[in-house]
Amino acid sequence: MSSRRPITEQERADLVAYLDGELSGEEARAIEAKISLDPRVRAEAESLKKTWDLLDFLPKTEPSPSFTERTLSRVDPLAAPAEPAGEEGQAEVGRWLVLAGAWGLGLVVSAVAGYAMMRAMLPRVAGERELVRDLRLIENKRYYDQVDDFEFLEKLDHPDLFGDDTVP
Amino acid sequence: MTGTGETSAQLALRDPDVRIMLRVRDDEPGAFEELVSRFQHRLVGVMNHLLGNADEAEDLAQEVFLRVYRSRKRYRPRSKFSTWLFTIANNLALNALRSRQRKPVVPLRANESGPLGPRPQEQMVHDPRTGPMQKVQKLELSEQVRGALDGLNERQRVAVILNKFEDMGYAEIAEVMGLTTKAVKSLLSRARENLRAALTGYIHMDSGAVEVPPEDDE
Repeated sequence: MSSRRPITEQERADLVAYLDGELSGEEARAIEAKISLDPRVRAEAESLKKTWDLLDFLPKTEPSPSFTERTLSRVDPLAAPAEPAGEEGQAEVGRWLVLAGAWGLGLVVSAVAGYAMMRAMLPRVAGERELVRDLRLIENKRYYDQVDDFEFLEKLDHPDLFGDDTVP
Repeated sequence: MTGTGETSAQLALRDPDVRIMLRVRDDEPGAFEELVSRFQHRLVGVMNHLLGNADEAEDLAQEVFLRVYRSRKRYRPRSKFSTWLFTIANNLALNALRSRQRKPVVPLRANESGPLGPRPQEQMVHDPRTGPMQKVQKLELSEQVRGALDGLNERQRVAVILNKFEDMGYAEIAEVMGLTTKAVKSLLSRARENLRAALTGYIHMDSGAVEVPPEDDE
């Protein structure tokens, strides 16, 4: 069974894909059927395959023996200034900044707490201004020591108890 | 995600080349040298097929490795390492081919091999194992195939080289070239048709006249 119409571009693409092993099982079987039934398709497939095989005549090239050495020597100067690490590098910098910030904050909090503790723990020495303010209290301390509570003091202050020695 | 629940990154980590590249990324001593040694033959070979000039191929292959090294800290394994490597190679080769179109290069004659020693074509001529007629035919065929390849447009040439010499499937070529798989299928079909047109006289040569070179194992 042979058709006279020329092979279309799509048919050729399928034929090439078949030769390259890129078709699914079903597609490949369809192409195989065409090849076995149509001599023109068979000839087309054969010439495409031979064309491909001719590429084996291209000269093969091997790198020169010093290739690795020369490549590495060009890399050495690059070793120090490696390119920034992009998103990961930025994230790394961010992590360092957060860490440094946390350390700084910790130091400030520790200093403030330490100062407050020192103030609380050290014995307090009264200043001169406080002594002047409480002078009367200090002078009468020995009397106040005899008193149990403020209620008793207020009663002592009552006019009926001691009264005013007023002159008629 | 794949059917087994693995991500593409997990799959990539199974690629031994990816693991070497991760060691390069971590600045492990000797890792980059290992990478260069492992890929230099393939890369220089592909570049030479693309450009048709051994010196230029080495320079560009070296540039590919330098770019890999420079961008090592940004490397994220998402596919096979070779796919990433040949994507860089493809970009550099296309730039070189386009710049060459603007500044035509005068090819060296066969006896001007330079510091890299005799080219394979020269070696073929002096190979005592084959007869003089076969040598001439082989050399002529080699030059014709080179000419046919040079006659393809840049993208067709890249697709052909990756498919033929790197054994890449359409999907991988599509990834390297930034195309769809369908576009690669069409590209390769047209490339093969163009090659056939350029090599018509050689396709039907007596297959015994010129022995097809053995496949390179590498």
